[in-house]
Amino acid sequence: MMDRRDFLATGAVSTAGTLFFPGNLLAEETKISNKQKLVQPLSFKMDGEWKEFELYIDVHTHEPAPGFKYHTLAFNDMIPGPEIRVNAGDKVRVKFINKTDLNHTIHWHGVYVPWRMDGVPFVTQLPVMPKNEFIYEFVAEPEGTHFYHCHWGTLMHMQAGMFGSLIVENPNDSIKKKFPYEREYTLVYSSHDTNYIREEMNSMLERMKQRSYLMKEGRFNSEQWAVFDNKEQFAASLENGYQPPYVNNRRSNSDLPQANWFTVNGKSYPSTPYLFIKSGENIRIRLINAGAETHHLHLHGHDFWMVADDGVPLEHPFKRNTVPLTPGKTFDIIVEGKNRGIWTFHDHDTRKVTNNGLYPGGNLLALVYEDLPADELIISKHSGNPMYNSNAGMGDMKKMDTTKNDNMGAMNKMMFGEDKLPKIALDE
Amino acid sequence: MNNVKTNKMKKLIYLIVLFFGIANAQITPEFEIGAKGVFSGNLNLNSEESSAVSDFSDTQLLMGLSQKLYNNWRAQFVLGLQFPDANSNLGEVFYNNIFIRLEDQKNMIKVGRTIAQTNLNEFPTLRDDDAQQFTYALNPFSDGINTERDQYANVLEYTHTFKQRFFVSVHGENFYDSLEPDDFRLNSTGLTLMYKVPESQRWNRNVIQEIGLSYNNYFTDRQGYSNDFDASVKNLLFSTTLNLKPDPINFIDFRFQAIQNFGWDEVNTLNDYFDYTRTESSTVFGTFRYLKQKLERPHYQVSIGGGYKSLPNLEVDSNQLLFIANSFYRIGQNFDIGLQYRYTENTGFTEGLFGKNEHRIQLAVVYSFSKIFNKQFGDRQDLLNLEHNYIR
Repeated sequence: MMDRRDFLATGAVSTAGTLFFPGNLLAEETKISNKQKLVQPLSFKMDGEWKEFELYIDVHTHEPAPGFKYHTLAFNDMIPGPEIRVNAGDKVRVKFINKTDLNHTIHWHGVYVPWRMDGVPFVTQLPVMPKNEFIYEFVAEPEGTHFYHCHWGTLMHMQAGMFGSLIVENPNDSIKKKFPYEREYTLVYSSHDTNYIREEMNSMLERMKQRSYLMKEGRFNSEQWAVFDNKEQFAASLENGYQPPYVNNRRSNSDLPQANWFTVNGKSYPSTPYLFIKSGENIRIRLINAGAETHHLHLHGHDFWMVADDGVPLEHPFKRNTVPLTPGKTFDIIVEGKNRGIWTFHDHDTRKVTNNGLYPGGNLLALVYEDLPADELIISKHSGNPMYNSNAGMGDMKKMDTTKNDNMGAMNKMMFGEDKLPKIALDE
Repeated sequence: MNNVKTNKMKKLIYLIVLFFGIANAQITPEFEIGAKGVFSGNLNLNSEESSAVSDFSDTQLLMGLSQKLYNNWRAQFVLGLQFPDANSNLGEVFYNNIFIRLEDQKNMIKVGRTIAQTNLNEFPTLRDDDAQQFTYALNPFSDGINTERDQYANVLEYTHTFKQRFFVSVHGENFYDSLEPDDFRLNSTGLTLMYKVPESQRWNRNVIQEIGLSYNNYFTDRQGYSNDFDASVKNLLFSTTLNLKPDPINFIDFRFQAIQNFGWDEVNTLNDYFDYTRTESSTVFGTFRYLKQKLERPHYQVSIGGGYKSLPNLEVDSNQLLFIANSFYRIGQNFDIGLQYRYTENTGFTEGLFGKNEHRIQLAVVYSFSKIFNKQFGDRQDLLNLEHNYIR
């Protein structure tokens, strides 16, 4: 529960977020507010050799971009859920608390957990029922970029927001040796059909209320649950006239989701995070696709090094500038700060650079060089368009200084505001 | 000449481009379509002449278009049509719903033609009007040749909700006037108070599912009275639905409604339907319903009910009695077969108006369907809205 201190902290951050705009991209406040758009670390406490984490799930109101909110499911009231970061070989214990009226589990994607900790309902465990808990225990291996997500009603629960990054660090990281870096970023991608989420959450909540009632009364059976002990029991039910839910019954008319929001760390442009870099610096970016769509990620002005695939360090890193991040996939890339500027890093399937169908939005963010001189942001000084810059295309020739240009400047100010880049565009 | 033609053609092209430009820029609304088909073979055994009828009345089609407005309001445009009884004098098709609804989390405004608040309950009968004379405060301006003019009116309604369950509604209606069909002025006003458990939570509510009270004042012309209030027909309705066995598999409820028509003292004989609706009457109607659900869908339903109406101000002891029993069995998604038996008995003046008695047996196939396409927002009765305030 949020206490007064948290509220004040959040309030301060929100205010900073409100004040923040791209014209102040290089300001210190921008970097502070940007931290809120990055994945949040999950703290732990030690119990003997065990690192103990706590994750809870609850209904949450989420705002992927200013002005658009929807109800969803979130770990620890944030999307993505907080980042669990441990060392390879650590003993990890995660206490999972289900505060909702729905069933859930946690699957540790890419991690060598004991099979009874894998989080697959009815295969490795029973679902974590409403208001119940489950303790997950495993040794963190292998090293690399992984993630966790709910494995119950996965189609809905994952896109609702039940996912988070799980980073297993290796103190002798081969990638860090090859490409020394200080800063790294985790970017968790997802896609959401907010209408589908709302409809499914309503229908699941209704169903679960009825089922919980029948369970308490001891009148719940396999057919109502649509869960059978074995194939023979299922076959016997079919013989007795039972129709599975995917036939002409119950939920067979449900439509599949059509994503209308695309997020990076739960945010859509213009709320997406910035990736700060300095000339000469290497940064590591951990890319995770926790959604059900492929994202063809393209970085402008650079080739980046592909250094890990599904968390596995690549023996021979190679260069790319576009990478297809398929569902369930993780890639680690290294960006070398070799081309000072502000560079977009976006999904080249531009259908996913939209918010509710409108371009631009979605998976659009920027790599920002911190050592970029503020002067270079001034439009009229560096524009290649003579309409904004009377020196455009004139090299060292004498500047044309006319009344016409003054008038044009006034018109530009009316149309485009401050003489400064970048700006927020919401409809192109 | 050719220039004029060319210019006209250019204008037309501009208009088409403009229209499609605007049309394409629009947000496609939520589109809801609802359909109900009631097809029955009726066997009428009455005191005068028995008959067999193929009946598809009460079949209807409903279409709704909804969009979010600015400032957290929403609007819905609804258009619906119904196939009335063959001898209803309404033609082949009756447009029973043509209205616009504006709403936010606490307020609802409805303007247009729709069902009036002269019935506070939905009883489990095959057709909506199977117990019409017992379940509606009747329209005193109607000649009674059809039931639609009692059910539907051109309305102006404002409803305020409290805590998602209490509804206070102030409404004015223009009920169809058989003697002055071109008079569209409001000829009725009313106030309705309702407590309603939302649909998604009804199955597990103990005892009270709904309870309501409604007062309706029809501005009739009463000879000898100049004051509008004194000249009016006044009705008071009380309605309730009680959960006798709230359960997701075996569900039993009891529905009840009482209507007191305060009537006019001077109407002590029944010469026509106008007299029938303007004399004093007390009506009660109730049903018991058992609903069996299987795999979270209706499986079958059995209900039994009856009503009694007394008209105490008449010179001759007059009353009406109705008994109704039916059962429906789901044969597939949206399709039910149903069997209904109804017995009506009229005594005194009502016998002259409606016949002595009638046994009606109906074997029916009912199709009911409702689907929202292009969904954009949650419903008022969604659990997410109820528990987490979705409608803002």
